[in-house]
Order: sequence, then C-alpha cells, then structure tokens
Amino acid sequence: MKSTVFAARTGKEIRRDPLSYILCLGFPIMMLLIMSIVDSSLPPEAEVTVFHIRSLAPAIAYFGLTFVMLFTAIQVSKDRTTALLLRLYASPMRAADYVVGYTLPMCVLGLAQMAACFLAAFLVSLCQGDPLSIPAMLLSYLLLIPSLFLFVGVGMLFGTAVSEKSAPGLCSIIISAVGMIGGIWMDVNTIGGIIRKTAEMLPFYHGVRLARLPLGGAMDTLPADLLCALVSGVLCYILAVTVFTARMKKDIS
Amino acid sequence: MNTAIRIKNLRKEFGAKTAVKGLNLEVREGEIFAFLGVNGAGKTTTIRMLTGLSVPTAGDAEIMGHSITKEPDTVKILGNISPQETAVAPNLTVKENLEFIAGIYGFDRAKTAEEMIARFGFDEIRNEKVKTLSGGWQRKLSIAMALITEPKVLYLDEPTLGLDVLARRELWHVIETLHHKITIILTTHYMEEAEELSDRIAIMVRGDLICAGTMEELRRQTGKEKLEDIFVSIVEGIR
Repeated sequence: MKSTVFAARTGKEIRRDPLSYILCLGFPIMMLLIMSIVDSSLPPEAEVTVFHIRSLAPAIAYFGLTFVMLFTAIQVSKDRTTALLLRLYASPMRAADYVVGYTLPMCVLGLAQMAACFLAAFLVSLCQGDPLSIPAMLLSYLLLIPSLFLFVGVGMLFGTAVSEKSAPGLCSIIISAVGMIGGIWMDVNTIGGIIRKTAEMLPFYHGVRLARLPLGGAMDTLPADLLCALVSGVLCYILAVTVFTARMKKDIS
Repeated sequence: MNTAIRIKNLRKEFGAKTAVKGLNLEVREGEIFAFLGVNGAGKTTTIRMLTGLSVPTAGDAEIMGHSITKEPDTVKILGNISPQETAVAPNLTVKENLEFIAGIYGFDRAKTAEEMIARFGFDEIRNEKVKTLSGGWQRKLSIAMALITEPKVLYLDEPTLGLDVLARRELWHVIETLHHKITIILTTHYMEEAEELSDRIAIMVRGDLICAGTMEELRRQTGKEKLEDIFVSIVEGIR
C-alpha cells in the first residue's frame, strides 16, 4: 500500500516533468523518423540493413530504454537531495516500498515508450508499403521487458550510488555504449575484433539482437540472447535493490 | 502532566566526533519544548535520533513509553517531523501532498487531506503546484503534512528559518494553536521565537545540555532578563 502511494507520487512527478516527454517519448520517435529517412537515402548497394524499419524499430525501442534509465537516475538522485526523503525516512516506509515505488512508474514509462516507438515504426512501415507484422512487434515488445528491468535497475543504482550531478554523466556513458556496441547504429558483426568481443560480453548487444529476432533475426541466437537479457536484468535489478537498501540504512544510521 | 519524552543518556558519535554527549531530559505531554544552540550544538542530531532518522550510539529515549531503539516502527507512527528544509513534493499540488503523506501512514487520504485544507486555510491554493507557492505557504504545508498523521509528538526543526516576519508570525500562530494538544519539540536560532512559543527551553553547547527550564527559571539562573542575553551568557561561559 505504501509502495503504491509512493509509486503514484513518482508517477505524477514524471508526468508533470516535460523532460520525460522530450527524453522518453519524443527523442526515440524522432530518432526513428530520422534514421528511416537516412535509410531511404542510402543506396541498396551500400548493404546497410540496421536502418531498415524492421531492424530499426526494435533497436530504437531498446535504445529508448536508456532514457528511462537516465530518468530513473535523475529522479532517485534528486529525491535523495530533498528533505522530502528525510520526511519519508521518518515514516513507516521500508526500503522495499521505495524500490517498488520507483520501479512501477518507471516500468509504465518504459512500456509506454516502447508502445509509442512500435506504433511510430508501424506507421513508417505502412508509408513504406511494407507494414510490420503486429504479432512480431508484440513479441519483440515482450522480449524487451527484461531489458526494461536492466535499465531501471542501472538507473536506480546510479541514482542511489552517486550524486544528482554525477548520475546523468554516468548514464551518458551507458547511453553511448549502448548506441555504439549494442548494434543499434552499426552492425557489430561487420566490425569484429575487440569491438565485437566487448559487445558480446555486455548485455546490450544481446538485448538488441533479441528484440530484433521476431521481426527477422536468426532463431539460433534466441536461447543465449534470452538468457543473457533475463540474467542481466534480474542481477542488475537485485544489485540496485541491495545498494538502495544499504544506502537507506547508512542514511539513517 | 504525563511524560511524553524521556531521554536517558542519549549519545551520538560520528567517528571521532561526539555530536550528542549523554543527553538526559524529560518533556511533558502537551508541552512546547525548545532546543537552542549554535550550529553544531547537537539539536538536529537529537531530533534525528528521536524520530528514528539516526540510530543512537548509546543510551535510549522513550516516546510515549516506547523505546526509540527497541520499537523504532512504533515510534515512527507516534511522531512526525517538519524538517529544516521544506519537505514537500514540488510538482504535486497542496492537496496531493497532503493525500500522499496521509496515504503513506494508512489514513483515509481524501478525508484527512480535506480536514487539513480546512484547518490550515489552504482552500484557495489546494490545486496549485507547491513549487509555485511562497516560502511561507510551503513551510505551512510542511507542518500540515507532519500533522496530518495525528502525531503525539511533533518535531519542528527550525520551522521559520528564512521566512519573512509576516510569514513567521503566521506560523507562530499555527504552532500556538497546537499548544497543549500535542507535544512539540522545536529547534530554532531565533530567541524571540523560543521565548514566544515555548513552555521550557533547553540550551545545548557542543553536544551537551547545559540547562533547561522555563524562562523564569533561566532568568533566575543567569540573572539576565532577555533570552538572548541568557543564551549568550551561558554559551560564552562554556566557551
């Protein structure tokens, strides 16, 4: 009950912050539209497939989740600097109430963002005369959920561990890493070497490949990618909860 | 009058620094009790321990008979705090802030929020976002948010800090209306505030409680008339 009351408050804070619309909804859709224009401008002999709408839509939906991470980090770190949190620490709220209270609205934000992204992608594909399959988009949507928890977890972790000023900076590093080695803007397979090895060691590349799978990826990577997305999502979220709980205990010690 | 707060050898250390040095004190039910002291005297640390925001290094305190070390959850329900900084959710309206805190404590949100809106005269600003309100209104709301949970003990940590004289007077009036209804622990740097509002005043210096009593008792003890002179003579005497 306390967690849902806190979640409702966090949700209101998000809905009333214009940054959430700009970063979490506007930016991914804008990227989708721009990259679709780039795709239509590329000659077929260039053989660049990452910007085709069936490859781009799930990748941008994944990339958009990094902004949910950023928003989570900003919200948690900002709350930590205010006296409101002090007031709440003096209330009967427990660490789990805070964690659920942050997670629920951030997940709603992430789910709404993914839905908006796929809707925009569907409209683009309609304009291109090759509409995306709705069941495939729905499956891709579901396969992105573990990654949503990964990014909410990372956001909560950064928001808890570092200051309001440092948290967005750390998130920018992750956003850049996801863009570069997640295979969103370039095909990591064509690069190879240390870039590919690094990409394969991190969950981002697997998460993007997993999301692309229903819209035309290779099925043989499904088990490894799904396992990676699930394990990284769960582990990161557990780590965030642990760090948040420890921080709260330290704050009131 | 019953004892609302009984503090026994309460001590708080931060590494090598001792913020509160074995505090012993009793506060009666319905009393307004002020802590005075220069910065770093241990006033806020004491309040933090009494509200469960900080764990004592040694000693204990009982709030309405419940130990802060053994029954922290009960103690958290018995008291509430209006912290030094205005503790409100800035993007929420006045009504939503009140409902939020009422919900956290398991109260009927709509009903209790309406009661506080009527009691504090928030009707005209009920739907305004708190960040658009003046400092005085925000501080008043912060106190209302502490009172909405019907605490037995209210902790006001420098409630009028940074407010203009009119807003301060208005808050004094709010605090006076609570006199004898609930126990209030007040910390302040404003001598006239402590003198105007409090039944008893305690002076802390570097973590030690130097004296506590009514204005008359403090006057007799120091031979000074004004609280500011009393305070200066005590603090200077220690230094």
